[in-house]
Amino acid sequence: MGRYTIRRLLQLIPVLLGTTFLINYMVWQLPGDPFAGRCGQRPCPDAYVNAMRAQFGLDQPVLVQYWNFLKNMLTGNLGVDFNQVPVATSLADAWPITIRLAILAVAIEAVIGIGAGVLSGLKRGGVIDNAVTLSTLVLLSLPVFVTGFLLQWLLGVQLQIVNPTVSDEATVSELLVPAFVLASLNMAFTARLTRTSIVENLRADYVRTAIAKGLTNRRVVGVHLLRNSLIPVLTFLGTEVGGLMAGAIITEGIFNIHGIGGLLYRAIINQDFTIVVPVAALLVLVYLITNLLVDLLYGVLDPRIRYE
Amino acid sequence: MSDPTVAQDLIHGGDEPTGAVTVTSTGRPRSLWRDTWDILRHRKIFWVSLVMLIAFLLMAAFPSLFTHKDPNYATLAHSMEPPSSDALFGYDLQGRDVFARTIYGARASIIVGVAATLLTVLLGGITGVLAAFYARWLDAIISRVGEIFLGVPYVLGGIIILGTIAPAQTSPNEFTIMAVVILVLAILGWPILMRIARSAVIQAKHQDYVQAARALGAGPFRIIFKHLLPNSLAPILVYSTITIGSYIGAEATFSLLGIGLRPPVISWGIAIADHTRYIRTGAHAMFFPAAFLSLCVLTFVMLGEAVRDALDPKLR
Amino acid sequence: MVEVLSEPVGGGSYEGSLLEVDDLHVEFRTRAGVAKAVNGVTYSVGAGETLAVLGESGSGKSVTAQTIMGILDMPPGKITGGEIRFRGVDLLKLPEDQRRKIRGEGISMVFQDALSALNPVFPVGWQIAEMFRVHRGASRSDAKKKAIELMDRVRIPAAKDRVNDFPHQFSGGMRQRIMIAMAIALDPEILIADEPTTALDVTVQAQIMGLLADLQRERNMGLILITHDLGVVADVADKIAVMYGGRIVENAPVHDLYRSPAHPYSKGLLESIPRVDMKGQELYAIKGLPPNLLEMPSGCAFHPRCPYRRDNCVTDVPPLYPISGTRGSACHYWREVLDDGSR
Repeated sequence: MGRYTIRRLLQLIPVLLGTTFLINYMVWQLPGDPFAGRCGQRPCPDAYVNAMRAQFGLDQPVLVQYWNFLKNMLTGNLGVDFNQVPVATSLADAWPITIRLAILAVAIEAVIGIGAGVLSGLKRGGVIDNAVTLSTLVLLSLPVFVTGFLLQWLLGVQLQIVNPTVSDEATVSELLVPAFVLASLNMAFTARLTRTSIVENLRADYVRTAIAKGLTNRRVVGVHLLRNSLIPVLTFLGTEVGGLMAGAIITEGIFNIHGIGGLLYRAIINQDFTIVVPVAALLVLVYLITNLLVDLLYGVLDPRIRYE
Repeated sequence: MSDPTVAQDLIHGGDEPTGAVTVTSTGRPRSLWRDTWDILRHRKIFWVSLVMLIAFLLMAAFPSLFTHKDPNYATLAHSMEPPSSDALFGYDLQGRDVFARTIYGARASIIVGVAATLLTVLLGGITGVLAAFYARWLDAIISRVGEIFLGVPYVLGGIIILGTIAPAQTSPNEFTIMAVVILVLAILGWPILMRIARSAVIQAKHQDYVQAARALGAGPFRIIFKHLLPNSLAPILVYSTITIGSYIGAEATFSLLGIGLRPPVISWGIAIADHTRYIRTGAHAMFFPAAFLSLCVLTFVMLGEAVRDALDPKLR
Repeated sequence: MVEVLSEPVGGGSYEGSLLEVDDLHVEFRTRAGVAKAVNGVTYSVGAGETLAVLGESGSGKSVTAQTIMGILDMPPGKITGGEIRFRGVDLLKLPEDQRRKIRGEGISMVFQDALSALNPVFPVGWQIAEMFRVHRGASRSDAKKKAIELMDRVRIPAAKDRVNDFPHQFSGGMRQRIMIAMAIALDPEILIADEPTTALDVTVQAQIMGLLADLQRERNMGLILITHDLGVVADVADKIAVMYGGRIVENAPVHDLYRSPAHPYSKGLLESIPRVDMKGQELYAIKGLPPNLLEMPSGCAFHPRCPYRRDNCVTDVPPLYPISGTRGSACHYWREVLDDGSR
């Protein structure tokens, strides 16, 4: 497994280089001159544009720029944004909030999604099963922002149970509703995946053996059936952690949460690419590493998988 | 659903990242389709989604069938008026009729969803079939490039590309705005389809009848078109139906962020974006477009699931 | 066994055999119709006795076994009549929690395909040890020690080193040994082996059958050996019940049946075994196909394939005619068949 891990890490490098180059290229080269529109209605003075171009290295060839970016990233130097605020500072403020939000969301996905999936899978065709099938279909069809606005309107404006927006502290209780919104899509899918997996495994011979061993129903389901059925579910949950953080852009926008997503979104609107590039690169890195971890986790969960 | 990468998991359980999609009764495509139809005919969900689909298509093609009002006619005096017998869905911020704008909004969303999906199928299908058929270095290159694109989370990728391109366009027309969104959706989505097509073709390639065709001296194009394409059709069809739904959701999401569709285009996403700040006073101006948007996504998701269940009965 | 022995479910004494299946009826209700899988099966096994239940797939032999174990899928399965008495007590009337205690403790089962019957994600030792932990409340380390002893007993080499291995890391024969170790862990009085050697190589088959016979003698178990292979049966079984179309068509002490079958189906089975002294001659095969459970032939279910068929075979269901105290045949013309002998 050690060798497999190393090989996978090595394979990660070209993908990481490719994605970060793509991000760099798209952000810096595609829009034409990134400084042209920065002085309100008037075109910017040449002196300002030239100074900025020099500071951010835009006067150099694309590959040199990319090389400098890599060098800075590897030495932990995230640079300053257009307003000369260190990007690392903004990140340090935003990062914990997004992590909290993502952890909450994964917990909601796991608890509700797996719970609903198990219940509906065990009693296929029952009332619960039909309810779960229907509600997951609805959740899968609601774009995240629709769910977000709906809950904000219902719980925040109409019923006034929660604040429609989240304060700067972003406490766990404030983040519950946003986390639910962020989780909604994956939660629905987790429920369906769990159901399918339970239904498939219920037919398996080893379940019959477990019953023949004289185990209680609870142990047959709770130990033998669940241990097998949850392998693909946990893998899915893990794979989606990285995507969840990136997806938080929309949820954070709706509830005015000052996390990574909010930071990135504001940076895009303000065309501040010095923030966009490192933050996006970071999100990609998190995404790729969680994927790798999940692959390794898969081997731990399922002894039949052998890494070569 | 605003993230098409999840739709990929919808079609095959999601347990294996590169898992092959099972193609039932690969040997006899015609009977496969007949079986599928027989199952579909008896499914309520199929008929419900079909009726909804036809309604939305009519809305997109002939909006004037549903409303005689002009979606762009604004009377500020009516601004944010709630639903009444005069205006079924009320008026928006500019005093335009929300019902008319919701009906007219179907066109842009459906065009973007369908066109982006077609482009995705084209891009992903061609690369996938080529990668599987020629294997070796071409496969390696296509697969690696696909990995790079999949390495960027979908929403993030969309925001980066659209966020940098969109503001750079000076006074674009409707066509350009839509074309850019379509292009971006497809560029981010093609690797998933490439993988589906690739694994379907690899599976089919080892079937005896394809080997036999090869041994009989059939050329590569004949094999691809006669044997391999029909085989990969089933999983691609299921995926792309669901994808239309998720692309419509994704377009609305980007429009909401101000980097997708923009005026003068009329779309559900724009209508919602225009009123996010007025959620306390004028929720109706957001609610109706959001409801239509969700129903439209639901239509395609249901249709896709019905087709998938019919094609692969063991999943039920 | 502690619970069962100290507090026998029947209340002490019982007459008759350890396990008695009495006029059992099981059907499957499917969309295509009702399939009568078991139609009045009666057999019994005593302590230290081996009963071989012989029949092709669909004959109802496995369904009967699953009903005894209480692991029949219901629905679609449904028990429509009969009794299964273990120590005189009808298992079918017992509440589920008492029934559960008998599984593994009183009656145990070995399945055909050990690879799928063992849980893929738990070590084999853990799976054997689970019997002691759940039924006896043994500690983790005690249970593991006992699991290793059992693995030794079923002759798994280097049991101690392999106790933490997973099922897929063993060969087919070794996996079946683990299955057997698990089944005999709690010293059950009845062991049901459902085609235990079908999935294995011929050489391994003999070893597994030998092991089962040894264990049975050693522990004085009643053994129900379910198989479709008459060749497997001869050396180990005491008596044979031949099943066809959900009924027992012949039961007999094993040597009587080998010497002179009393039912055309048993006769056909015997004659289709290749024999060295018949070299060069054409091998006999029973004509036709096994019956469709959804549309059973009228009268005797075997009549469409039977060389002894007369008119009344098509209309009258033959009862199990007693031939002697220990033998019976469900053929109207059993005398004729018996007189013909086997080849």
